[in-house]
Order: sequence, then structure tokens, then C-alpha cells
Amino acid sequence: MHQAIPYMSSHNNNFGNINENYYSNKKKENHASSKGEEKMILNMVSENAVIVIGKRGCCMSHVVKRLLQSLGVNPAIHEVEEEKDEVIVARELESIIEGNVQFPMVFIGGKLFGGLDRLMATHISGELVPLLKQAGALWL
Amino acid sequence: MIGAGNWKRLNWIMVCVENLVLYFLTNMDPSSSSQFVSSRNIGVYDPIHQFTIWEEHFKSNGDSSVYEPEMKLNNQSEDASFGILGTSIKYDHQEANKVTNKMQRRLAQNREAARKSRLKKKAHIQQLESCRLKLLQVEQELDHTKQGLYIGGGLDSNNLGFAGSVNSEIATFKMEYEHWVEELNRQMLELKGALSAHSSDIRIGELVNGLMNHYFKLFCMKSDAAKVDVFYVITGMWKTTAEGFFLWIGGFRPSELLKVLVPLIEPLTEEQRFDAYNLEKSCRQAEDALSQGMEKLQGMLVDTVAAGQLVEGTYIPQMDIAIERLEALASFVNQADHLRQETLQQMSRILTVRQTARWLLALGEYFQRLRDLSKLWTNRPREPA
Repeated sequence: MHQAIPYMSSHNNNFGNINENYYSNKKKENHASSKGEEKMILNMVSENAVIVIGKRGCCMSHVVKRLLQSLGVNPAIHEVEEEKDEVIVARELESIIEGNVQFPMVFIGGKLFGGLDRLMATHISGELVPLLKQAGALWL
Repeated sequence: MIGAGNWKRLNWIMVCVENLVLYFLTNMDPSSSSQFVSSRNIGVYDPIHQFTIWEEHFKSNGDSSVYEPEMKLNNQSEDASFGILGTSIKYDHQEANKVTNKMQRRLAQNREAARKSRLKKKAHIQQLESCRLKLLQVEQELDHTKQGLYIGGGLDSNNLGFAGSVNSEIATFKMEYEHWVEELNRQMLELKGALSAHSSDIRIGELVNGLMNHYFKLFCMKSDAAKVDVFYVITGMWKTTAEGFFLWIGGFRPSELLKVLVPLIEPLTEEQRFDAYNLEKSCRQAEDALSQGMEKLQGMLVDTVAAGQLVEGTYIPQMDIAIERLEALASFVNQADHLRQETLQQMSRILTVRQTARWLLALGEYFQRLRDLSKLWTNRPREPA
């Protein structure tokens, strides 16, 4: 049963080229809504080159999103609405995350990458862009 | 005119004098003078002198019991003047005990007095210390009021309000920051010396690491202070006015710094120049992302505060949410400092040890010049209004 999940679909923005946008959009559309709720998050993670999971209204998620967009990436965004959602998501992600679940978190290439700290650090050291290219989130 | 009472006293005095003379005349044996510690009154007895002393005593002591005064007469010769009264005086151990008791009492009184004066001194010092701290706080408040007037006009995008309250933890932070600056200058001097002395790369490397860690220490201090009063940290009230003008989320803007200082450390290899350029670009991207996050936070704060009817007394729930939003500010300060830290570290990777040293020195010098500029500006001669 497909449940409408309030996650932001990518809006038109000026970053990145058209091909990218198209590709990323395609990925999101492929997100099969017939899959079970429980696996929804995991599926999203594995199907998107880059996905950001954050709390709704959190400004740090916004920062993460903006940073990725400035690099030409169009990340999928999943917003966790309330407390109970948070618990569900956390439970799901336990299988792939060790330790505490801290929002916002970024998944690249189906694997947990980290939070804003790690994103900043790898971006400054110049390692982020190659990583994104490797995951297929960025095209030259 | 001498009154009746005084006549009685005078009479009594004369009796004492007579007894005294009598006593000495009959007891000249030195061996019996063991009770008298001070020997200088024996044999050189001056009744007139003694009389004067007693007279003065009676004048000052008024009604004190007549048979007691020998206790308080002339201090130096009191040992000698004890048992003078009365013809049948027994100079035995009782008198001797009186002497030691007297001495002990006096010593005890001295101890007590010394103790009291020590306590008084301690209390006085404590009072001075607390006044000093208060003065420091007041000075800082004055400082910040001045700075607030300068900063308030120039940073509309990031200035979320002038807090105005400086509690003791912030006062501590300000003091620690002053110490931090002193230590920074000391380390920079040391590094300068090592460079000009052509010390080994290892030595330079040590000093460079020390300096970088010193900067990281400041970021920790700021993080702690932000938990106490984020407005204070984010509006840069702890910095001088000129530094505050270039403020970005509670500190320096990394990309600005790179743009200004990298040209100063030429010569650079092509690769280095390329890496430095990329670093500057990455910094700018990260800064933009953070700035946009801050703007979003501001927008949300504005919406929260303005939500609902703007009628007095109905905005309490909004305030709670607003407070939550403001708590996110501290995390912005942390992220901005984290960016600064990463930038410093990346520069040290791009450059050689000696180049990093020169770059850090240029950095420190740049900030020092801004601080000096602030002082000059504050003290510039102004025309009377």
C-alpha cells in the first residue's frame, strides 16, 4: 500500500545541467511505491545516488542541500516529520548504521556517508567531488 | 579645685607612697626580690615618679576599684608595683601566679588581636577582589555597548539582536580570549624567530602545529561560550570593532582570508596555486550554503515571532518555538568554526611547512593590524560636536 510520504521532490533550480536533472528525476520516479513501507527508506537509500534525510524544517538539512546543489548534485530529500517518524526511520536504518542516528544524514551511493561535519570536511579537502562522481551523482 | 572624692584618693595615694618607701627601706635584700621581674625600679625608686604615674592612672580610670589599680599601673614596672599596697603584704606564689596569669592573659589578648586583624585583612582583600571583578564586568559592558553601536549598523543579515547582558561566564570568556591573544602573539614571535634563524623543518613543524592547535582551542572556547550566550559569540562582541566589520557567523570568513593572504606567500608551485584556488572556491561554496541556512533560520524565526495575532499577551507559545529556533544558532557557530578549522588544515596540507609558517604569521599579522586599526579609530581626534 503506497503511503504518501512528504518528501520534497526536486524543484527547478539553476544548478547542474539538464542531463543530471533528468537522470536524478528518473531515479526518483523509479522508486517503486509498491514496496513495503518498512523497506521504503532503505530502498530510497539504495536507489538514489545521493539522498539527504533530515528533520522537517531543520536549517542544517537546508545547508546540506544547498551545498550539494552548488556542486551540481541534485540530492533526493526525505523529510522526517515528527517524533514517531523519526523512530521508524531510525529503526530501519539501524541495519546499515552503527551508533546513533543524527539528522541530517547523507547517503552517497547507497551507503551512509555522514552528517554535515563530514560533508564539509571532505568538501574542503577536495575529496567530495570525486566521491560523488564515483557514485554517479555527478557528471563531468 | 579638688573635690571631696578626689581628696580621698589623694590621701590614699599618699598612704601608698609611704608604704612603698617603707617597703623598700625594710626589704632591700635582693634575694627577696624574686617576685619582681623588673629590677630597674628597685634601688632607683622615685616616689615622685611613681606618684605621678598612679595619679595619671586614677585620673583616667575614674571609679575603678581602689584595690585593683596596682594591676594596671605603669606597664613596665608593674611587676615591681604589685604587692606594694598594704603593710602586711605577702609576696608568695599567689603574686607570682598573678604575674604569669597576667602575662598569659596578655599573650592571649595579643593572639586574639592578631587573629582579628588577619580576618579583617582577609575580608578586605576579598572585597577588593569582588570589586575588581565587578569593575571588569562594567568595563566590558561599556565596551560592548560601544561595539554594539558600531556593529548594529553594518551586519543586518546576520545580526539577530544585541543581547546586552554579559554574565560572569561571558566575562570569563572575554578574559580568556585576552589571554589567548597574548599567547598567540607569543607563539607567533617564537615562530618568526625560528624562521629567521633557519631552524630545522621539524622545529618549524612543531611550532606550526602548536599555532594551529591554538586556533582550534579558540574554536572550542567559542563553542562553550555559544552555549551560554550565542548572540554574544555570533555578533562577535568579543572582537574589536574593525574585526567585527568583517564578521561572518561569529568569526572570519575563510575564503576572504585565502584571497587576501595566499598572494603573500609566493612563490608557489603551479600545483599549489591550483590547489589554493580550489580551496578558496570550496570555502565559498560551503560559506554560501551556511549563509543560506542562516537566512532560512532567520526567516523561520521571523515567521514564528509574527505568527498569530499580534496582540499583546498571546504570543507565549510562539516564543517557545522561537527559542528552539535560536538554539539552532549555536550549531551554526559550530559549523562555521568547523569550516575555519578545516580550511586551516587543508592549507597546511597544500603548503610546505615553511610556507604554512609564513601563511600563519601573515594571518596573525593581518588580525593584529585590524585590532590596531580599531584602536586608532576609537582614539582618533574628533572635532567637538
